[in-house]
Amino acid sequence: MEKAIEVKNFVKEYGNFRAVNNISFEVNEGEIFGLIGPNGAGKTTTLRVISTLLQIASGSVKIFNRDVIKESASVRKLISYLPEEAGVYKNLSGKSYLDFIAGFYSTDRKGKTIMIEKGIEIAQLGKRINDKASSYSKGMARRLLVARALMVEPKLAILDEPTVGLDVVNSQEIRKIIKDFAKKGTTILLSSHNMLEVELLCDRIALINEGVIIEIGTSQELKNKYNTSNIEKVFLEAIK
Amino acid sequence: MKHFYNLLKKEVKELLTREVIASMVFMIVFFVFMGKIIKGTKEEAKEINISILDLDSTQYLQNVLNMVSRQGIEINPIEAEDVEDAIKEAKEKNATVLLVIPSGFGAKMQEMEKAEIELYSIMKGLSIKETISSEIIKSVIRALNNSIATSFIQKAIPGKDPADILSPIHTKNFVILKERTIPGTPGVLSILITSQSIMIPLILVMVIMYTGMMIMTSMGLEKESKTLETLLSLPVRRSHIIAGKMAGSAVVGFMMTVVYMGGVRYYMSPMMESPEISIQLEEFGLSMTPLGYVLLGISIFLAILAALSVCIILGVFAQDTKSAQTMTYPIMLVAFIPFFLSMFKDIETLPLALKIIVYAIPFSHPMIASKSLIFHDYPTVLWGIGYMIIFTVITMWIAVRIFKTDKVLTAKFPIKWKRH
Repeated sequence: MEKAIEVKNFVKEYGNFRAVNNISFEVNEGEIFGLIGPNGAGKTTTLRVISTLLQIASGSVKIFNRDVIKESASVRKLISYLPEEAGVYKNLSGKSYLDFIAGFYSTDRKGKTIMIEKGIEIAQLGKRINDKASSYSKGMARRLLVARALMVEPKLAILDEPTVGLDVVNSQEIRKIIKDFAKKGTTILLSSHNMLEVELLCDRIALINEGVIIEIGTSQELKNKYNTSNIEKVFLEAIK
Repeated sequence: MKHFYNLLKKEVKELLTREVIASMVFMIVFFVFMGKIIKGTKEEAKEINISILDLDSTQYLQNVLNMVSRQGIEINPIEAEDVEDAIKEAKEKNATVLLVIPSGFGAKMQEMEKAEIELYSIMKGLSIKETISSEIIKSVIRALNNSIATSFIQKAIPGKDPADILSPIHTKNFVILKERTIPGTPGVLSILITSQSIMIPLILVMVIMYTGMMIMTSMGLEKESKTLETLLSLPVRRSHIIAGKMAGSAVVGFMMTVVYMGGVRYYMSPMMESPEISIQLEEFGLSMTPLGYVLLGISIFLAILAALSVCIILGVFAQDTKSAQTMTYPIMLVAFIPFFLSMFKDIETLPLALKIIVYAIPFSHPMIASKSLIFHDYPTVLWGIGYMIIFTVITMWIAVRIFKTDKVLTAKFPIKWKRH
């Protein structure tokens, strides 16, 4: 099976501050892989590098065997990135926003229409999809953004805190959609503060702290290793 | 091209908000309203009403006054014992001016002696209308003097044309400008050239201001709405993102400029009428050729591109729309330097250091071109175009380079104020 993500000894620095320090991990195609860690651990920086947004100081990051720095244009065709603090264009309606995004991925009109319909189905905004995004609540905007990221059926979806700002019902719905996409072959890389969410969703997990990966494995493997009942306790034990 | 069009559509939709449309509508309504007021005031000022108190019971001025009344000026004789009563009556008759012909006026005229008349201007306020009225009255007095002097000359020297005596020297004026001998006075020529070449710098400054503000706002909005990361992760070339932003900002900026300039033109049109200058520059061979118009168009287009590419680089440093708009000010200031200088000075006549600064500013070149092309000075214009092409290519290359790195997400001005 082809590796979806191959990260080798990657280092990212902001001036004198080393945000990510020599991390390595691999994600298999069709896998849901979770990065968990506290604020400032380096999760978002890692996701941004994989999304071709940031340069790296050393190491290599490959997506389906394409280098994110040297072949960034090619990588962007395979991925869809949902930033944690993403927003929507306030003067566009939800539907216009989906139309705008679909315009970069679809090759024909029919494909674009199907993509937009898929987005509308995921967003579940009803008639409000035709309203301007500036009138949406935080949860509605997040649903639209998740829909935008997944409707294009990327080979790799990079989701930074996908359910942030959503209520329990909506969070569960989004988790179900993510699982369905993975079953259809989309590889998912996500980060979350919500350890329960990661445990429920991910096939494998990497624990990251202060820019270093301290553990990688399935949630069961990690729980067994640290002899604890949940991932939250695993994390606390691992950083001791 | 499909991606560029998609981006352009989004940019226009994002920038052309209800607030922007409302401000454009307000601008149109405001200028039309102000223009109508000024036009009305000017028309009103032309309605001159002269009351005459003839204490000499002379008919000497009657012919002249008949001539004046044929110019649309209302003349009302007043029957009063003294000036005070006459003023009262003139006010009642809503007169603009009261002309008092003292007793003995006719006799002095018969003897061809200097005589006096009294003129009481009745002002109803301190508005522009009163200034225009007083100018019209002055021209009436000039006409009176001229007419009386002519009749004196005809009486004293029959058979001689009075005009030859009133103006015995007829001057033929020529101006030598840039190796061209042009009939006319420097004053008239300067007014004509300035009036023809002032609009280009003004329009250019407005376009740079609005389009620059739009592209900065666009960058600020991307950061404020946190949409930039998503945009940069999409499968679209960075150059298309930049081109889409530039084109979208240019479209909205142009719309705003057209509305503003159209409004200003309507508002200013009553004030810009100058019937005294009827000579056209075409008569002097000083008009722009079709090639000149093409070169001017290219020059303006390149200046706008240069402004947009500088603005998008500055926009990278914006953190939100507020800071983005503040960053427009330096560009505006730079555009105003050649604008004001070209209004008051010929760039060619500036000291060398200042000339270098002006030539280094890309926005100067269309302003220089608007004057140079009147004199068919193509090399100056072509040099300017060449410079702007180099400037724009370099700045656009820098912009694309910045967008290809993570500076576009992380850049901030390095200035930090130290707290003491």
